[in-house]
Amino acid sequence: MSETSAKPVEGERKVFMTGNEAVCWAALAAGAEIMYGYPITPQNEIMHYWTRNVPKFGRRFLQTEDELSAGFTTIGGVLAGRRAFTATAGPGNVLMQEPLSMAEAMRIPVVVVIQQRGGPSTATVIYSQQEVTLTCFGGNGEGLRIVYSTSSLQELYDYTIKAFNTAWKYRFPTFVLADGYQAKMRESLNIYDPAARGIEMVPTEPFLGRPGKIGEGREAAHLRNTYNIEEELAEVLERDIADYERVAPEIVEHDSFNTGDCDLLVVAHGIVFRSAAMAVRDMAGQGKKIGFFRPITLRPFPEEQFRAAAAKAKTLLVAESAYGQLLKIVQQNLYGSTVPIRTLLKPGVGITPEEITDECSAILAGKGA
Amino acid sequence: MSSAQHPPRVVEAYIGEYASEKSEIAVNRALELVRLGKQVTLVDLDLVEPCYTLRPLKKELERAGMTVLAWETAELIGLGETGNVLKPSTRFCLLRPGDVIMDIGYGISGARVLNLVENAWEDPDLKIYAVINIARPMTATVDQIVDHVRDMGRVDGLINNSHLGDETDVAIVDQGARTVAAASRILGIPVVTTVVAESLAASFGKNDLYGHPVRVIRRYMPRAFW
Amino acid sequence: MAVEIELQPKMPKCWNLASKPHKFCPGCGHGLVLKALGQAIDELGIQDRVVFGCDIGCSLLSWDFFDVDSVQTHHGRTTPVLVGVKRANPDLIVVAYMGDGGGYAIGSQHLVNAANRNDRITAILCNNTIYAMTGGQMAPTSMPGQKTETTPYGRDVNEQGYPMLGPEMVAAITHEGAYVARGTVSKLRTLKGYIKKALENQIAGRGFSFVEALSTCPTNWRTNAQQTWAFLEENMQGYFPVGELKVPADAAGGASEGEEE
Repeated sequence: MSETSAKPVEGERKVFMTGNEAVCWAALAAGAEIMYGYPITPQNEIMHYWTRNVPKFGRRFLQTEDELSAGFTTIGGVLAGRRAFTATAGPGNVLMQEPLSMAEAMRIPVVVVIQQRGGPSTATVIYSQQEVTLTCFGGNGEGLRIVYSTSSLQELYDYTIKAFNTAWKYRFPTFVLADGYQAKMRESLNIYDPAARGIEMVPTEPFLGRPGKIGEGREAAHLRNTYNIEEELAEVLERDIADYERVAPEIVEHDSFNTGDCDLLVVAHGIVFRSAAMAVRDMAGQGKKIGFFRPITLRPFPEEQFRAAAAKAKTLLVAESAYGQLLKIVQQNLYGSTVPIRTLLKPGVGITPEEITDECSAILAGKGA
Repeated sequence: MSSAQHPPRVVEAYIGEYASEKSEIAVNRALELVRLGKQVTLVDLDLVEPCYTLRPLKKELERAGMTVLAWETAELIGLGETGNVLKPSTRFCLLRPGDVIMDIGYGISGARVLNLVENAWEDPDLKIYAVINIARPMTATVDQIVDHVRDMGRVDGLINNSHLGDETDVAIVDQGARTVAAASRILGIPVVTTVVAESLAASFGKNDLYGHPVRVIRRYMPRAFW
Repeated sequence: MAVEIELQPKMPKCWNLASKPHKFCPGCGHGLVLKALGQAIDELGIQDRVVFGCDIGCSLLSWDFFDVDSVQTHHGRTTPVLVGVKRANPDLIVVAYMGDGGGYAIGSQHLVNAANRNDRITAILCNNTIYAMTGGQMAPTSMPGQKTETTPYGRDVNEQGYPMLGPEMVAAITHEGAYVARGTVSKLRTLKGYIKKALENQIAGRGFSFVEALSTCPTNWRTNAQQTWAFLEENMQGYFPVGELKVPADAAGGASEGEEE
């Protein structure tokens, strides 16, 4: 299917584009073979640019009837052994939880790009960080997923490539969680052929329709997600949870700055982290004892690294464009710690570096509750 | 009377409303017959919520000396949703020697479930008993009981199983006996028994206030899941 | 000449012997539909290329029915999973097997759109007029007046509408290249012929192929053998006409292929 000679990205070069385009080029460069999708703002341009490139690089696309179908057809593509992906947002992410719970149950390495929009319901098509809980823990299960939260177009490119490898290496559904701002904003980034950076793409393999004659060298595959009795289900879940916990330390990623002995540690993810990083570096430059901790993987969460950083901080400030979705994860991972947590929660609204600076200054000055 | 080739035996089917304790009464009846030294087959014909009624008790009942026709847990692997599947051997349960006690689930078809059992309507010993608890809102009044029983097709006897679980007292059992007896007169179907739990047995003699024989049961179902 | 005596009815070669006897109830039609499908797969010699998908409902009991690659999906979602497989690997021959609830209710949008896109898949839908595995509720195909656990006084067409005519709908929205038929387990050779033509249609790459099979559910109908047969042959076939609704112009052979003796 992708046996055309031309590589979509040769070597490495600097380009200027939007976030949705960056996702598309990363998927092309990663050797993604087929995308399934349903229109929803703000992720549409991923499909637009994918479809423009489909004939040039021997890829495929199917526009489905809804996100249920987009998710389930993506599962079908992966079962057929293809590096397959989809992208969605908001209400589409809600619908997609059904197929994603099947992918989680059956360890099907689908890759999903989420461009968060305002919620609940139709809300805005613009921006939020309100799909954290849904993306990390959606579905009727335990959230055995891997979620990368990006903060720039370069990261959108890097982590989209990485998501395919993580998914196929560990066999858990893998998400690139961005937002409407990152989807639409434009900035420069380096796009590259993974091979040019020594990144080897994890090979794919079919779960269904494998070569060979049944009974002569291969058995028929019988895949299922149904169990009739509690014990049988428990056995499968215990195995999957143990796998997840075993590989989590290899998967977790974070970024931090100035975490040793600080008066205030700012915790933020995604695009809000960008504002936080600017504010914190600025204030640190002025001699304030302030640092930041940014989880890159929201699921699994870099618990050990975070606890170590929080242990050396006098106060935490959690900032997010949601009403406590990151906060919940932070609190859960801090269980037992007595460090006070302050919050800057703006559901569905962006947070500027100035707002974070003001909040930090007030906290450091001992003001506010 | 049964013919010489077909010695008389106990063949009882228990039907009734959801959670009317059909299974409890069927299990107790089967154990009672075992204690009388009889060969007994207990059959799970609950097609709306199968597997959950007799399954967890199966081994214990078999150890007591009866045959239980119900799905084995291990046989269910891969059945999925609820496993609403008729176990083939249950279809031929009446061809077995000895006494047969059938536990039939609730549902709109009532006694018509017996269409699925080979020879059911020809069996000379078959008795179909409707279990009634007046504490359940759909069978609380005489009129409701009459309509309910008429809906279920053939019914040969009524069982007063009026109770309130752990809060059962003598009054609810007596009120049930009175109400079921009134329905019995309209339907022309006898009241076979009034059922009381072991804990209340001392408050009753051999018959209830209206002369129906009292059957004391022990509750096994709390050990089942539903 | 020696007389060969077969003590057992022959099972299709592509059946998975390890999962036999199968898990369906006595008198259930699923086993017959799957026998027809198995015979068609054998006759076409495609066992190694088939991907079989089953839905939720009693159809899921077929997850290990065949010795072919199989996947059990979610309720209504077998069609999109197999569309995804086929789009990703067009060399495979994919069969989406579902019940009337999966195809005509919860997954109807998938059936409609796969048909309209002319996806090269074969969908086989077992119509037994009831939700069986969940305990006998009304299905889109329940007959007028039929008593079910959710229509305890009978299906009232003014309240619950008329039984869904699936193949008629699919025939109306599909275009050139589609194959659409309705068979019945009471005419198994004809049904096998339809399923075989549906698979051939996919192999030839002509388009969507869809076969509804009228089937039986004595367990939930609460019927004995005579009553079961009467319901299928009189009630159901009176409402759901059996036959081919759409045959591509260039499809080989006619409806005569699988005629009953």
